[in-house]
Amino acid sequence: MTGWHAVSSVLTSERAFPRVARSGLSWPKLAAAFVVGLWLFPVYWIVLTSLKPIKEINSAVPSFIFSPTAENYRELFTKFDFARVLMNSLVITFVSCFVVLVLGVPAGYALARMKVPGEKQIALWILSLRFLPPIAVAIPFYILWQDLNLLDTYVGMILIYVAFNLPFAIWMMRGFLADVPVALEEAALLDGLTRLQIILRVVVPVVMPGIASTAIFTFVFMWNEYLMALMLTAFKSVTVPVTIAKFVEPYTVLWGTLSAAVVIQVVPMLVVVFLLQRHIVRGLTLGAVK
Amino acid sequence: MTLRLQNVQKVYPSGFIAVNGINLDVEHGEFFTLLGPSGCGKTTTLRMIAGLETPSAGKIFIGGRDFTDTHPRKRDVAMVFQSYALYPHMTVRGNLGLNLEIKGVSRAEIEERLQNVARMLDITLLLDNKPGELSGGQRQRVALGRALIRRPNIFLMDEPLSNLDLKLRERTRTELKKLHETLRVTTIYVTHDQAEALVLSNRIGVMNAGNLIQVGTPQEIYDRPRNVFVAKFIGTPSVNLLNVSVQNLAGLLAIRLTGSEKPLGSILLPVADDVFHRLGPAGTQLILGVRPEAIAVLTEAHAEAVPAEIELVEPMGYVNNIVLRFGKDVQTTADGEPLIAVVTSSESHERGEKAWIRLRPERLVLFDRTSERALAILAGERWEGV
Repeated sequence: MTGWHAVSSVLTSERAFPRVARSGLSWPKLAAAFVVGLWLFPVYWIVLTSLKPIKEINSAVPSFIFSPTAENYRELFTKFDFARVLMNSLVITFVSCFVVLVLGVPAGYALARMKVPGEKQIALWILSLRFLPPIAVAIPFYILWQDLNLLDTYVGMILIYVAFNLPFAIWMMRGFLADVPVALEEAALLDGLTRLQIILRVVVPVVMPGIASTAIFTFVFMWNEYLMALMLTAFKSVTVPVTIAKFVEPYTVLWGTLSAAVVIQVVPMLVVVFLLQRHIVRGLTLGAVK
Repeated sequence: MTLRLQNVQKVYPSGFIAVNGINLDVEHGEFFTLLGPSGCGKTTTLRMIAGLETPSAGKIFIGGRDFTDTHPRKRDVAMVFQSYALYPHMTVRGNLGLNLEIKGVSRAEIEERLQNVARMLDITLLLDNKPGELSGGQRQRVALGRALIRRPNIFLMDEPLSNLDLKLRERTRTELKKLHETLRVTTIYVTHDQAEALVLSNRIGVMNAGNLIQVGTPQEIYDRPRNVFVAKFIGTPSVNLLNVSVQNLAGLLAIRLTGSEKPLGSILLPVADDVFHRLGPAGTQLILGVRPEAIAVLTEAHAEAVPAEIELVEPMGYVNNIVLRFGKDVQTTADGEPLIAVVTSSESHERGEKAWIRLRPERLVLFDRTSERALAILAGERWEGV
């Protein structure tokens, strides 16, 4: 093909397919971009606010161009001791999440596999614990925790979070585990594995995507939990959401510090989701059975 | 190892009797097939041998030892599942080696046995792949390998070929037979495919509705079916069942198609002494089982032949299946199925042609009409009671 032919063919194809379509800008894509923009804008705005000096934040006209400052972050960690709060949240959430999975996976397995009279009722009862509005039990728990000396402690918070999230985790894991082909376990049984070996070496690896999904859900619930943390913590084990709310003071809102705290709060969630999503994308029982 | 099932029964809590008191002895090194339609209890029987189901009654002996209450882990039986049930998160190597690893076999020996089995099944190059990366046929080989590597007491196979396409199934069938000839491990094989059963087995046990109806070599099952069900289940095309009555013609057994005046002359054959007694008084209505290859299709009238019409010709390559219809006055088959003859494709027959059919005196069976049990079988040139 000579140069001229090439050029002319490009020109004709250009005419046949308008530039907008060729560069991938079609109406559905524009609409999608609009929706994504609408959802991401608040996030963008918070990140922006966290980097603004106080004068820019309070200006009546929203500004997009300014000289960014780390002042809000510095204040967050120096004046408000945010590192300790962050550590509280991380410890409470990770330990609770771990306990929930350690209890939830075997419980889900038992409900999915064992023939127990009334197993459906038991499963429904477990889920119904999730229906309970936390506000209904917040005060009783406060009194109970006071008597047990669990107020404002890691153990107290972990117990509460495990209690609130375990039913959901059991329910979710029961669904995932019910989808694991029984033949796989039977094959392992005939291969000489004990029940515990079957669970650890066959069932858990196969159901890893389910465990990852459950972990993400419980992590997000706990990480963002506000009400119980507000009721049951004060200083020693106070968590990030409670601290953030404190930036809304009676006569002023500390927008800069608040935004910086929110930005930092989002980071662990993003990290967890990115680490675990690889497992979710992978097919559940790829290649196990025909 | 030998296997003995003693009055083994499985009744589900719902009251459904899946297996109804089976007695069976399988020799050491035998390839034994449980054959039957779906829901006949063959898989349940297999699972009871594996220990995956507990018998409601009866005993299971492996190598003479009572294994009825032994945990499946300790039976040392290997099973190939219909779905293969490969561990999806492990490589082929991991799948094959798991049992040996659990048993505490040394790494070096595992690797050696792994290489042997892989060579035997031609999966050496796949050892580091995961099941998800394999084709159906390759997965099937791995499933087989996982059983082979163990050198178990007994192999159990639950329709292992049913997920393969036809060509691959036939090839694997041949390989399976070769493998068994070499290894001679006692094998219990479950299938609903009669061709598989005939090709592979030393002996076949035909099951229906939880009962073991007949046990015998493939030839015995084909030649001497115990009842109408077995006769119909084995052989393609299926056996033809004709409504007939019989008559004692000076010591010879004459068979007459219901509705036809002449007896079928060609099969006027001598009978053993007790046969007439078994068949009942003259004129008793019976069912005659005729294999499709025992029907000769003639193009010209013949004294001993019954007139019929060719309804359809199904070319099968070296043979043609000919679907036939009798004239108006002769009743058709006992089960309402068309009459089918298998003839070599060198005979040319056309649809709609008139034909005369004549029965060859081979593999004919007379069944009781109500109990459907076989009463007499044509063995060689002579009718014998069953």
